[in-house]
Amino acid sequence: MDWKAMSRYVVMAGAGITLAVPTVTAQQDSAARRDSQPSLAEQVEVLDQKVRVLARLLELQRDSLTAAAKQQPKVTAGKEGFVIRSADGDFQLKVRGYVQADGRSYPDGAPVLGTSTLFLRRARPVTEVTAWRYFTLKLVPDFGQGRVVLFDAYLDFRTGPALTFRAGKTKPPIGLERLQLATDIRFIERGLPTNLVPNRDVGLQAVGDFAGGRLSYAVGVFNGVPDLGNLDGDATNDKDLVGRVFLKPTQGLGIGIAASTGNEHGTVTAPSLAAYVTPGQQTMFRYRDSTIANGRRYRVTPQVYFYGGPLGLLGEYVVSSQVVTRGAAVGELKHTSWQVAGSWYVTGEKASFTAVAPRRPFDTSEKHWGALEIGARYGQLTLDDAAFPIFANSTNAVRDVRAWGVGVTWHFVRGTQLSANYEQAQFTGGAPSGADRATEHFFATRFQQAF
Amino acid sequence: MSRLTRLAVALVALGGSAPAAAQKPVTLLNVSYDPTRELYQDVNAAFARYWKTKTGQDVVVRQSHGGSGSQARAVIDGLDADVVTLALAGDIDRISEKSGLIPADWQSRLPHNSTPYTSTIVFLVRKGNPKHIRDWDDLTRPGVSVVTPNPKTSGGARWNYLAAWSYALKRPGGTQESARAFVAKLYHNVPVLDAGARGATTTFVERGIGDVLIAWENEALLAAKELGGGQVELVVPSVSILAEPPVAVVEKVAKRRGTLAVAQAYLEYLYSDEGQDIAARHYYRPRNQTIAARYASQFPKLTLFTVDAVFGGWKGAQATHFADGGVFDQIYLVQAAGP
Repeated sequence: MDWKAMSRYVVMAGAGITLAVPTVTAQQDSAARRDSQPSLAEQVEVLDQKVRVLARLLELQRDSLTAAAKQQPKVTAGKEGFVIRSADGDFQLKVRGYVQADGRSYPDGAPVLGTSTLFLRRARPVTEVTAWRYFTLKLVPDFGQGRVVLFDAYLDFRTGPALTFRAGKTKPPIGLERLQLATDIRFIERGLPTNLVPNRDVGLQAVGDFAGGRLSYAVGVFNGVPDLGNLDGDATNDKDLVGRVFLKPTQGLGIGIAASTGNEHGTVTAPSLAAYVTPGQQTMFRYRDSTIANGRRYRVTPQVYFYGGPLGLLGEYVVSSQVVTRGAAVGELKHTSWQVAGSWYVTGEKASFTAVAPRRPFDTSEKHWGALEIGARYGQLTLDDAAFPIFANSTNAVRDVRAWGVGVTWHFVRGTQLSANYEQAQFTGGAPSGADRATEHFFATRFQQAF
Repeated sequence: MSRLTRLAVALVALGGSAPAAAQKPVTLLNVSYDPTRELYQDVNAAFARYWKTKTGQDVVVRQSHGGSGSQARAVIDGLDADVVTLALAGDIDRISEKSGLIPADWQSRLPHNSTPYTSTIVFLVRKGNPKHIRDWDDLTRPGVSVVTPNPKTSGGARWNYLAAWSYALKRPGGTQESARAFVAKLYHNVPVLDAGARGATTTFVERGIGDVLIAWENEALLAAKELGGGQVELVVPSVSILAEPPVAVVEKVAKRRGTLAVAQAYLEYLYSDEGQDIAARHYYRPRNQTIAARYASQFPKLTLFTVDAVFGGWKGAQATHFADGGVFDQIYLVQAAGP
């Protein structure tokens, strides 16, 4: 309607301009005719009005277009990924993803410790859909290591910062390093304590922040997977109650505690017990056949981090206890693990629990090379002595492992990095005749791209 | 006194002092129509003082203005208004019907059908009235350029339209057909349809377009005395329409935001002596007869029709004239399409 109306006035204004010149001629030619014609001033007035009308119509048209533009969905591409967002922000589709291409080698060449290989550790598209402002669906499948596994699939109902209900498959809120995103961990593989906490589980939890994020909490009910477990369902009626409280009293300092408790009853075919791995991801402890989870399980893990300037420190301690049986034998096994990890940005970036953007992102034309980070860690995992010899065989299951590692990461831009780690693990037990398993020397590299 | 008793006393004492200590500042959003900016700036400041004195609580009232129809649509679409102060009852009815945020009987919740002040429709012309505009007939003369906003988006424009229709209908021999022809002729003289009344005032006063602006009485008086810099004059037609801009609490939003009590008090304040005085100072006709008498000289006397009397109420007027495909669409779209 506006365009039609405007067109009408454009035609009228054009006609007015066309008429103006002959009118001037007529005034020169005939005084009589001059009297019957509108005066020049009147014609100018008419034209002036038409010009004003046209200008106003254009102004309204521009206002209308500006208002309409505000109602249009926005499409953006940036460090949040690729995002389509409705004008009011209530609806949103966010697509991100990351790929980690790894190399592993075991320099001492002992074949029992693993095979040197190049492989795709993780290849995960991340899709987040928000609808009606309050509801967000997140889907994260993984195509790495030649298989397809659904890692995260959950729905958030966000009532506000203090309370979000989360239902579906996700990380249970227990292990500190486990809760760190795979793209943000400082070493290529997580440390020893991660052996004693679940990986992914299905459940319902409430999470939230208070005091502007200084106090975070999470509490939920999960199916209850074994340590390191990643399952989509549950074979028993037993469930785990999981909770975590985390305080950030000052900038960069975080301290908290998480715990889980429940009962687990496995079967001979599905014992609901974990096998634990070395820093080089080789199995170092497994239960004897026919050992099953059969009673109370709990985990407790105090945890802390500190990030100040380029320095980052992370520490956690985990106790994982499980009642097990093997035939008539019953044992309550309590495994423990801890680690301290430190990192340092040589190029001066401010360290953080989450991803860090280089101060000078990689740009050859500017001679900017990104950021360089170095790190070191030490950790230990101790298996309960009571596990031996009934529930585990010390000739192939270690009793204790202590590991240290160093690493260097070259961050090209935020999320894109090249890492190299060396780790050395020394074992107690785990070899025939009461000997110790051979020391593991593990060298790993990773090229990661995340967007 | 036992330890338990002392603890109970302490808790009661703490609880008793809690309300005064817990008076957090509160924010209201008043979604209003176009020309009420200045009115509610003053009302909001006065109400904040009143509320602070009465309860000790700080209140900030934010304002949103636009065409009344557009504002109603925004509230229906989710704009979190605590109160609406719109140009006509039909727009609040629409919010009530479409969203359920306002109870159906909202108009009975406050005195005078929830209309704390009234206004009417008058003309604003150029200084000296060069086109000799005296009454509604003059607006249909060839060569007279009329500025009025779009009735599809502006409540004030709907009052304008209905005032013109009423005039034509009440003339000797007036019929629905003659009224329709009259209004069609009038809109033939309209070069620009702004979205709201304030936009139309801008078109007429600041952009210098048109010979006459059909306007709210308060807007015309404001323009004549303050905005127009002496370049425009008020013309009062022989008859016009009684415009009753209503107000309502958006109950579901206010309950959710915990602002119900202050929102209700805010609208009740409009009926107070101070609220009525502020309305009169902004050229709205107050309901309070004492205050109306104090400001009688600034309001011209003229015959006023009511929507109920001429159109049987807003619902009928809305459906017949302003609904999609209604009489206005038939008149204006045909004109825009040309012969």
